[in-house]
Amino acid sequence: MTGTYATVITVVALLFAGWALISAASNRHPTLLLFAAGVLLEALLVGFAVGGIVQMAESGRHFARAEFVGYLLGSLAIPPVAFYWASGEKSRSGTVVIALAFLITPVMVLRVQQVWAGSVG
Amino acid sequence: MVEPGAGHTPAPTGQGFGRVLVAVYGIFALAATSRSAVQLATKFAEAPLAYLLSAFAAIVYIVATVSLARGDATSRRLATVAISIELVGVLIVGAASVLIPSVFEHPTVWTGFGSGYGFVPLVLPFVGLWWLRHTR
Repeated sequence: MTGTYATVITVVALLFAGWALISAASNRHPTLLLFAAGVLLEALLVGFAVGGIVQMAESGRHFARAEFVGYLLGSLAIPPVAFYWASGEKSRSGTVVIALAFLITPVMVLRVQQVWAGSVG
Repeated sequence: MVEPGAGHTPAPTGQGFGRVLVAVYGIFALAATSRSAVQLATKFAEAPLAYLLSAFAAIVYIVATVSLARGDATSRRLATVAISIELVGVLIVGAASVLIPSVFEHPTVWTGFGSGYGFVPLVLPFVGLWWLRHTR
């Protein structure tokens, strides 16, 4: 539940967040290209969730399984909700909303890993 | 507080900057809800006060998020109440956690004035109340 794949998601999400922030700073509302970035990130997150749940099923270890699945599903919900909420906005605020969604994704990935390791407080 | 005159329509609270504000409130609703769900499910007995506070904070954030997003007259009142409670909560819990840390060994979103979340929980209610006033 650790390792390369989670790092890839984190790096991609942060790059997209930087892009969205620059885009917002130059007064752009969300473009189709930014939406494509969101779709790509969502695809990565689906892989993460499926992989995580498979690993959980194979593991006999004791950890907070419900919370683990909760965080995985929560991370999946973020990009669609953000794009939905941003879609009604005609100013750059919509772009900032998407930047926030990209910024929060690495935190969710981190929390997934913390629950997996059993160190959540 | 001056009541707006008849025929005065307040600006929606969920547009423009409000769109971002609602997103930030949504993130805190998610953070506080998931944190308290983990805490209540796995170790409620360890620190019932802290964990009930987490759950209470979660509800406050959810109400603030939804009411700011809706932004009609009733929602506006509800948002004002929720954000005022949020302000009092973060100030009291923040001060208490500094003065009597033994009670708050287990973290909540408001512990240390929200220091675990970059002090955003301390700033957020001020911004929220300002925004409600600004859009009135």
